[in-house]
Amino acid sequence: MKMRRLLMAIVAASMFVTTSWAEPDAKDAQEAFTMPEALQKLISSVDDKGSAVISAEAKTYFDGLPSHAKRLFGEAVTNEYIGTPTQLRDLLSLKLNTSKLELVLTNNCLLCHTNSAYQNGPTLFSLDPVAAGSPSYMDLKLLLNDVHMRHKLACAGCHGGDPTGNMAHDHPAEWPADHDQRIADPKWIPQFCGRCHSDAKFMGQFNPSLPTDQLDKYKGSHHGRALLEGRNPRAAQCVSCHGVHGIQAANSPASSVYAKRIPETCGKCHGDPKVMAGVKLDDGSPIPTDQYEKYKTSVHGRALLEKGDIGAPACNGCHGNHAAAPAEVSSVAQICRTCHARNGTLFDGSRHKQAFEKNGWPECERCHSNHAITKTSDAMLDTSKGGLCADCHDRFAKEKAPTCKATAAHFHDTIVGMSKATVDYKGIAADLAERGLDIEPLDDERRNLDDALKTSRSQIHSFDRSDFDEVAKTGLDTVAKMKVLTETAEQDYSTRGHGLLVAAAMLALLSLGLWLKIRSIERDQRKGR
Amino acid sequence: MDSLTDNTAKHTRRSFLDLLLGLGATGWLASVLYPVIRYLTPLPSAGPSGPVKLSGEQLKTLDKERFVIVPVQGKRILVFSDPAQNLRALDARCTHEGCTVQYVPGEAVIWCACHNGRYDLDGRVLSGPPPRPLPQYVARQDAEGGVVVTPQTA
Amino acid sequence: MSTASPRSGGIFGWLDERYGISPLIEYMRHKEVPLGAHPMVWYYLGGMTLFFFVCQIITGVLLLMYYQPGETTSYESIHYIATKVPFGWLIRAIHCWSAHLMIMSLIVHMFSTMLLKAYRPPRELTWLTGFGLFGIALGFGFSGYLLPWNELSYFATSVGTDSVKSVPVIGHWMLLVMRGGEDVTINTLYRFFAGHVVILPLVCFGLISTHLLVIQRQGMAPPIHAGTSTHGMPFFPNFAMRDLLLWLICLTVLATLAWLMPYGPKLPGMEWELGAKANPLAPAYPGIKPEWYFLWIYQLLKEFPPNLMGMEGPQVCLLLVNVLMGSWALIPWLDRKAQRGKHSPTFTDVGFAVIYFLTFLTLKASDLGVAVTPTNDAATAIVASYCAWVTLGIAGVTTLTRFFLYRHRYFLLSAAVLTHIALHGLVGWSYLTVGAVTVVVTAIVLTVSGLTRSGAEGVES
Repeated sequence: MKMRRLLMAIVAASMFVTTSWAEPDAKDAQEAFTMPEALQKLISSVDDKGSAVISAEAKTYFDGLPSHAKRLFGEAVTNEYIGTPTQLRDLLSLKLNTSKLELVLTNNCLLCHTNSAYQNGPTLFSLDPVAAGSPSYMDLKLLLNDVHMRHKLACAGCHGGDPTGNMAHDHPAEWPADHDQRIADPKWIPQFCGRCHSDAKFMGQFNPSLPTDQLDKYKGSHHGRALLEGRNPRAAQCVSCHGVHGIQAANSPASSVYAKRIPETCGKCHGDPKVMAGVKLDDGSPIPTDQYEKYKTSVHGRALLEKGDIGAPACNGCHGNHAAAPAEVSSVAQICRTCHARNGTLFDGSRHKQAFEKNGWPECERCHSNHAITKTSDAMLDTSKGGLCADCHDRFAKEKAPTCKATAAHFHDTIVGMSKATVDYKGIAADLAERGLDIEPLDDERRNLDDALKTSRSQIHSFDRSDFDEVAKTGLDTVAKMKVLTETAEQDYSTRGHGLLVAAAMLALLSLGLWLKIRSIERDQRKGR
Repeated sequence: MDSLTDNTAKHTRRSFLDLLLGLGATGWLASVLYPVIRYLTPLPSAGPSGPVKLSGEQLKTLDKERFVIVPVQGKRILVFSDPAQNLRALDARCTHEGCTVQYVPGEAVIWCACHNGRYDLDGRVLSGPPPRPLPQYVARQDAEGGVVVTPQTA
Repeated sequence: MSTASPRSGGIFGWLDERYGISPLIEYMRHKEVPLGAHPMVWYYLGGMTLFFFVCQIITGVLLLMYYQPGETTSYESIHYIATKVPFGWLIRAIHCWSAHLMIMSLIVHMFSTMLLKAYRPPRELTWLTGFGLFGIALGFGFSGYLLPWNELSYFATSVGTDSVKSVPVIGHWMLLVMRGGEDVTINTLYRFFAGHVVILPLVCFGLISTHLLVIQRQGMAPPIHAGTSTHGMPFFPNFAMRDLLLWLICLTVLATLAWLMPYGPKLPGMEWELGAKANPLAPAYPGIKPEWYFLWIYQLLKEFPPNLMGMEGPQVCLLLVNVLMGSWALIPWLDRKAQRGKHSPTFTDVGFAVIYFLTFLTLKASDLGVAVTPTNDAATAIVASYCAWVTLGIAGVTTLTRFFLYRHRYFLLSAAVLTHIALHGLVGWSYLTVGAVTVVVTAIVLTVSGLTRSGAEGVES
C-alpha cells in the first residue's frame, strides 16, 4: 500500500518536472521571434487608395500563428520569395493550418510562382486566375486542396527540380524543354501518372483500397487506343477527366469524376461536336453528340442528377471508366442485367430471345432505348397506335400480330386495372379513415398489391400469357380482397348509422314520454292550486 | 258519473304515459349499455393458430427440468418427457382453481402446488381436490429435432 | 305524486325511515326557479355542463380500461381503441366531443351569469367556485390533450408548458415539476396522466359539490329587479325533469356528432385525429395550435414583441392575462352597484367588451384558413381585417339588440375594444400600440365622466 503511494508520488512529481521544463522552452520559442523589417513593411503596406492591403483579420491570423511559422514567413520575405503585399495577403487569407503552411513556406517553387513580381499569367498561381489572366488550372486554392498535395506530393513530384533550391536565376524560361511538344501530343501522360498509380506497393502507402490497374485498362480502352496509337491526340487521358492541379479523390463531391458529375465531365467532350469531329463509329458514321442531353432526360439521369441517387448508373455505369468502350450489341443486355437481373432471366426464357438474336437486335435497348431510356409505362403495352408491342409486331412479325396484340392487351388491361386499384384504394382508405373506420387491413393489402404490381410488370418480360397470369393472380386476388374489405367497412359504417338511428329513436321515445309527463304533472299542479 | 269516466280516462292516460316512459327508459338503457358491454368484452387474443414450435430456450428448460410450460393460443400447455422418454403434453391449468401444474419427474406425477392436486401422466386425477382430468394435447419430435405442440386435444 | 308525504313503502320508504330523505325532497319541491325578465334558457347551462362532465367521467373510465400510458404504448393503445375495440371509436369520439361541448357550455354559462349579475351577494362563492371549475376544465383539456402522445399534442404541450418559465424566480422550477424534466418527455405524460385522472377529478369533485350545494341552498339568482315577479317554477320535479329532457337531447347530439365526425369538426384547435406518433427529435411544423379555448392567449402571445419595458414579451403578456383573469374572478367585489341590487350597466358593458376582445383574438389565431404560409405578412394583415370585420359584425348585431331590445345606454368599454379592433384589423396599426392608446384614452374618459357624474348619481337606466 505504502509502496504504491510512493510510486504515485514519484510519477506525479516527474510529470510536474516535465511540464515545468516544457513550459519555459515554449516561452523561449515565443519570445525568440522578432519581426524582420521587410515583413513588417509588407504587413503594414497600403495600396494606391491608402487603405491597408493586409486586413485586420489576416493580421490576427498571423499573430495567432506559432513562432516557428512566423519565422518561416520572415525567412521567405527576407529571401525575397514573398515579395509583394498582395502575395502575402493571398497566402494569409487562405488561413492554412500549421502543417500545410509549413509545406507551402518551405516550397520555393510555390512561393516563387505566387509572386507576381516574378511571374506573369501562365505561370502565376493566384486566388483568382481569371482576373490574373492565367489558365483555370493555376488556381492556388484548388492546388492546395489537391489530393496529391495533401499527401505531400508537391510541384517537384511531377515537374522535377528542387523546391528548396533557389532557381530564380538559373530556372530556364521555357521548362521543360519539350514543353510545346508535350502539350500538342499528350501521349506521355498516362505512362507518367502510371509511374505511381500502377505501382500497387507504392500506392498502398496512401490508400491500399485504390486499384492500380487503371493504366492497363486505359490501354485497352477506345480512348487509350486512339491516343496511344496516334490516331487522335484529343482523345481523353488522365488529365482530361481528373484535372491537373486540384485533383480530388473520386468519392469527393468536389471531384470532376464524382458520380454525380461524371455525365457533365464526359459530356464536355462527347457533347461538343467540335471536339468529336472526325471520330467515327464502327460502321463509319460520325459519332453522335447528344448522349448527355438524352441522358439528362432518362430515368437513370433523373435518378442521379435530380434525386441524387448515386447508385444510379452514370456514363461509366455501362461504358466503364478507365476501360471506356461503347457497348457491343451482344453485351448491352448483359450490362443492363447487372442491375435488372430478373427481367433479363425472364427474357432469356421467352420466345423473343431467338427472334431478337435472329435480327441481331440488342435485347433491352430495342424497346427501352439507351441514353434516353425513360421510365417504363404501362402505355408501352397499349395495342392502339403508338403502343410499343403493336408497332413492332406490325412491322416485323405481321403474321403473329393478332395473337401478340391480344396478349399485350391482356397484359395492359390487367396491369392498368391493378395500378388503378392502388390509386383508387388510397382515396377510399382516406375516406374510410375519416369516418373513423379501421383501414389497417386495407392498407396491408394495398402494400401487397404494390408488390404484386411490381412483379407483374416485370413478368411481362417472359412474354407468356400463362406465366404472367400466374404472377398477376396474387395481385388480382388482393384487389378482390380489398374490395371485400371495403364492403365490410362500409357495412360496418352503415351498421353504426343504423345503431345510432335506433338509439336516437329510443331517446326520442323517452324524451317524448318525459315531455308528456312534465305536462301531465304541471296540469295536475295547476288543478291542485 | 262524469267525474268517474274522467278519472278512468285520466287513469288510462297516465298508465299509458308510464308505459311509454318505461319503454323509452328501457330502450334508452339498452342502447347505451349495448356499446358499453361490447366495448368491455375483450377481443380474442390474436396468435398463430396451429402447431407451435418450441423455442431454443424452452427446449433447454425441457431438457433440464424435464418439463416446460408453453403458451399456445392463450392457453398454458405443459410439455414433459415421461420416464420412457416419450414427449407428452397436457393442459397446464389445474381443473381445481386454475393454478399452473408441474411435472414431478421423481414420482412421475403431475402436481398442483396450490391445493396438492395430483394427476397421472395421462392427466387423470390421482388425489386431491381437482374435479376433472387435465385435457391432453399432442407433442412430438419433428424432423429437425425440435418439438412441436398441437393445440388440439388428442 | 300529488300527495304531500311520499310513499312510505318500498325501497324509498325503507331509506326514508332511516335517513330522512323526504324533507330534502320536500325542500326541493318548495325551492323555486325564478321566472322573470330574462329567458329561462340561461338556467339550464350549468346543468348541461354538469351532464357533459358526467359523460366525461363515464367515457373516461371506459377509456382507462384500454389506455396504457407509456412511450411505446400511449399512442398505440389509443390507436387500438379507435380502430380495433368494438365501439372504441364511439367512446373516444364522445369523450372528445363532450370535452369541447362541456367547455363551450361552461363558457356560455359563465358569461350569462356575468351579464345577468347572478354573482352579486349573496352568491359570491358560487361565482368563485364556478371560476375555479372553469380553471379546472381548462386543466383537464390541457392535460388530456397530451395523452394520445401524437405529434400535434406533443408540440402544443411543449409550447403550452414553456410559458410557465416566465413566472419570476420559481418559473424554472415550476417548469421542471410540470414536465418532469427540462423537456417534454414521457415523464411529462405520466404527470399529466396522473393530473388528468386523479388530481383534477378530486379537486373538481370538491368544487362541484360546493358549487351545487350553495346553489341548492340559495336557489338560482332572480333577475336584478326582483320583486316585480315573485312566481317561479318548482325545482323538483318540474325543473329537474326539464333538465333531464335536455340531457337526453344532449346525449343524442353527442352520439350523432360522434358518428358524423369521429375525429372532430377539423376546426383550428378542435380536432383529434391521431396523426403521427410524437417524435421529440422531429422539428416542429407550421400549424401547431392549442385547443380553441387557449387560442386567445396563444394569439396575444404572438402580438407581443420579444422585449417590452425591460421584461420579456411573453412575461408581460402572461402577467396581463393573469391580471385580467384575476379581475374576472373578483367581479362580485368590484361591481359595487350590483352589490346594492342596482343595475350596473358598466359591468354589462365589460362583459360584452370581453366577449369582443376574446372573439377577435380567437378568430385571428384560427387564421380562418386564409394564411397559408405562416411568415407571410400580407396574409396576416388580410386575416386581421377579415377577423375585424366578423367581430364588428357580431358586435353590431349585439349592440343593436342591446340598444333597442334591452334599452342599454352604456357602450363606452365595448366601443373602446371595438375601436381597438378596427384600428388594428382595418387600418393596420400594431395591436399593442393601439391597445395601449385605447386603454389610456378610455381611462381618461372614464375618470372625466366619473368626476362630472359624481354629483348626480342614478343617471343610468
